[in-house]
Amino acid sequence: MKHLRQGLIILGLILVGWLALPANASQAASNSDTFKVGMEAGYPPFNWTQTDASNGAVQIDGSSAYAGGYDVQMAKKVAHALGKKLVVVKTSWDGLAPALTSGKIDAIIAGMSPTAKRRKTIDFSDTYYASQLVIVVRKDSKYAQATKLSDFSGAKLTGQLNTYHYTALSQIKGAIKEPAMKDFPAMRVALESGTIDGYISEKPEGISVTGANPNMTMVEFKGAQGFKTKPEDTDLAIGLRKNDPDKLKINAALAQISQKERNQLMTAAVAQQPQAKSQGNWVVSLLKQYGGMLASGTGITLLISLVGTIVGFVIGLLVGIVRTIPRGGSAWRRGLLRFVDWLLSVYIEVFRGTPMIVQAAVVYYGAAQAFGWNMNRLAAALVIVSVNTGAYLAEIMRGGIIAVDSGQFEAAHALGMTHLQTMNKIILPQAIRNSLPAVTNEFVINIKDTSVLSVISVSELFFQGSTIAGQNFQFFHTYLIISAIYLILTFTITRILRWIERKMDGPQNYNLMANQNQVSNPKTSLTN
Amino acid sequence: MTDEILAVTHLEKSFGDHQVLKDINLQIRRGEVVTIIGSSGSGKSTLLRCINLLEQPTQGEITFHGENILAPKFDITTYRAKVGMVFQSFNLFNNLNVLQNCMVGQTTVLNRTPEAAREMALAQLEKVGMTPYVNAKPSQLSGGQKQRIGIARAVSMSPEVLLFDEPTSALDPEMVDDVLDSMRALAHTGLTMVLVTHEMAFARDISDHVVFMDQGVIAEEGSAEEIFTRPQKPRTQTFLKRYLQR
Ligand SMILES: Nc1ncnc2c1ncn2[C@@H]1O[C@H](COP(=O)(O)OP(=O)(O)OP(=O)(O)O)[C@@H](O)[C@H]1O
Ligand SMILES: [Mg+2]
Repeated sequence: MKHLRQGLIILGLILVGWLALPANASQAASNSDTFKVGMEAGYPPFNWTQTDASNGAVQIDGSSAYAGGYDVQMAKKVAHALGKKLVVVKTSWDGLAPALTSGKIDAIIAGMSPTAKRRKTIDFSDTYYASQLVIVVRKDSKYAQATKLSDFSGAKLTGQLNTYHYTALSQIKGAIKEPAMKDFPAMRVALESGTIDGYISEKPEGISVTGANPNMTMVEFKGAQGFKTKPEDTDLAIGLRKNDPDKLKINAALAQISQKERNQLMTAAVAQQPQAKSQGNWVVSLLKQYGGMLASGTGITLLISLVGTIVGFVIGLLVGIVRTIPRGGSAWRRGLLRFVDWLLSVYIEVFRGTPMIVQAAVVYYGAAQAFGWNMNRLAAALVIVSVNTGAYLAEIMRGGIIAVDSGQFEAAHALGMTHLQTMNKIILPQAIRNSLPAVTNEFVINIKDTSVLSVISVSELFFQGSTIAGQNFQFFHTYLIISAIYLILTFTITRILRWIERKMDGPQNYNLMANQNQVSNPKTSLTN
Repeated sequence: MTDEILAVTHLEKSFGDHQVLKDINLQIRRGEVVTIIGSSGSGKSTLLRCINLLEQPTQGEITFHGENILAPKFDITTYRAKVGMVFQSFNLFNNLNVLQNCMVGQTTVLNRTPEAAREMALAQLEKVGMTPYVNAKPSQLSGGQKQRIGIARAVSMSPEVLLFDEPTSALDPEMVDDVLDSMRALAHTGLTMVLVTHEMAFARDISDHVVFMDQGVIAEEGSAEEIFTRPQKPRTQTFLKRYLQR
């Protein structure tokens, strides 16, 4: 699934790339006075999210949270050498390369290795950290005592999607290769829950986990007992756009940082990474520590799904109206209508037929790469959800319009109403009423599906939840709270829309009027 | 001929290869009640629907006060406001209550003020005995009640001609009389009416002119007296015999 998704995103980007002139990417943001660095801010000790500026953390672009870690310290040094202001852009792993090539960011400092495959699309600086592969396992499992790769025969193992960690798995004979996972928090959850026996990681991440979670430990290998790795894999480097004019300066800055200083920085990062505060009730302590992040995530999720549903509803309504215009009239008019109808059905098919996550990546990164449009992340999210919802609701509205019996059209026409008046006064109120349950459904789906927007780093509820879980290692607790919030949101919204439906239906019973005087009259009710 | 409102000349209507109306000629004069009778499928509904352009005639001419309603520039919506229609299946607007059903055409098409529209609607609802139900939604009413509202809705538009397509055919027998009474009262006000019905006794009682249609043509026409007591054509005689035997 994850591979497919990644493949689709890349396919979409290639398509958009074809449409545009090539090689307008490297000009993007680099001549400004800021140095925009992309990272997940969720891969301690390289990078993580925290709520304050302690330990030299840097505020995350467009957020109230801060990014800390080894990568942030490196980024600061490089930005300083370039004489530019550092801006940290929190970006999901899958989004890093597209963000760089499309000019959303100037560099990737995210614990990324300069693999040959990546070098095809982006360039890399010299090494800024050299690492080693380890396997993280549960302390109580039999694999905790392993010393060599062959000890993992029969173990269920995985690694992060699109990393050499995952490809290195094939070096373990007899291991069961589980599907690759999206990020480290996901693998930690899987490990703790027992669905996997271990995951491949790098030493610093291993130190972090074992320090924060007493149930986990890391297996290191000596020399030939371990993974055979290429330096281009274990080395971490800064990802740059091809032909970046600052590459020499960046390498010079990295050369200034000695191996000793690098080790010190890493030790400090491991020590500083956020730890779960686990005194007292876990719900209270989680809410106390991360209440702000959860609230803002909930707010963003609500905003996107609400605006997306309302705008999508309007789009759906308009498309539904246009597609039900009677086909009569001149040949020219019929031809035009048929063409518009064709365009609209293409729109519906495309947006219903592709995953929203792909649409998000194509619209956000693709537009930047192809046309140099630098959309605001939230605006892009709103557009995508609206257009997506519109495609679904267009068919529902069309069905709602067709479902009104033709006799009512005829009666309205027989009274002398125009098509527009008939739609306005008679048909649409009924079509809208009939489509309300479907609109409610879309709203609920939107609340949940905004989580896929993490691919363009919109900090909605799920994104915030993963960030929190990535920091405190309390996966189940964090996700439990997130689930509760989702449930409260969807439940409340379903009730509200049910209430609106009842309002629209009017009273169940009517009052019999004995004579005309009892019928409320606008003229008399003013004077009475 | 001066008080002629509608005239249909050499009207033809086909659905694909199927010719439903052949060479129909008909005049409707002011204040006249014209009844169209005939067996099922003879084209009665199609003729009415052609008259208010719910169907587009294939050939021929229809004039309203001498003006050709099939001309490209003809203002169809204004014409339709003057030629009302009452449907067999009522076709009330389900999203509106009884009063609003009778007001919506007046305010949107005739641009009457809501107050004037309300006054007119209430007056017409009073005539069909539906005043107590002004707040009800169509789904809350019986068939006979719905049809009386259908009549009040059409009459509220102050039409010059009112077309009825089997207004009582979808009703239970005990509700038919209420609707027929409302129609009779309307006929007495001098409203011009064109009526398709299978209620022969009522037709005989109310009509100034009766048209018998058979297989898409007007087989015979004349006064109510002529058609019902001295039908000339054998087809008319067999058709009426079947109804009188019931
Ligand atoms: N939209 C249409 N498409 C094709 N054929 C139609 C259409 N409407 C009516 N017809 C055909 O035209 C013929 C006349 O139909 P019409 O409804 O006018 O008959 P009618 O005299 O009103 O019958 P009834 O007494 O059953 O209402 C019938 O054969 C019918 O099948
Ligand atoms: Mg009929």
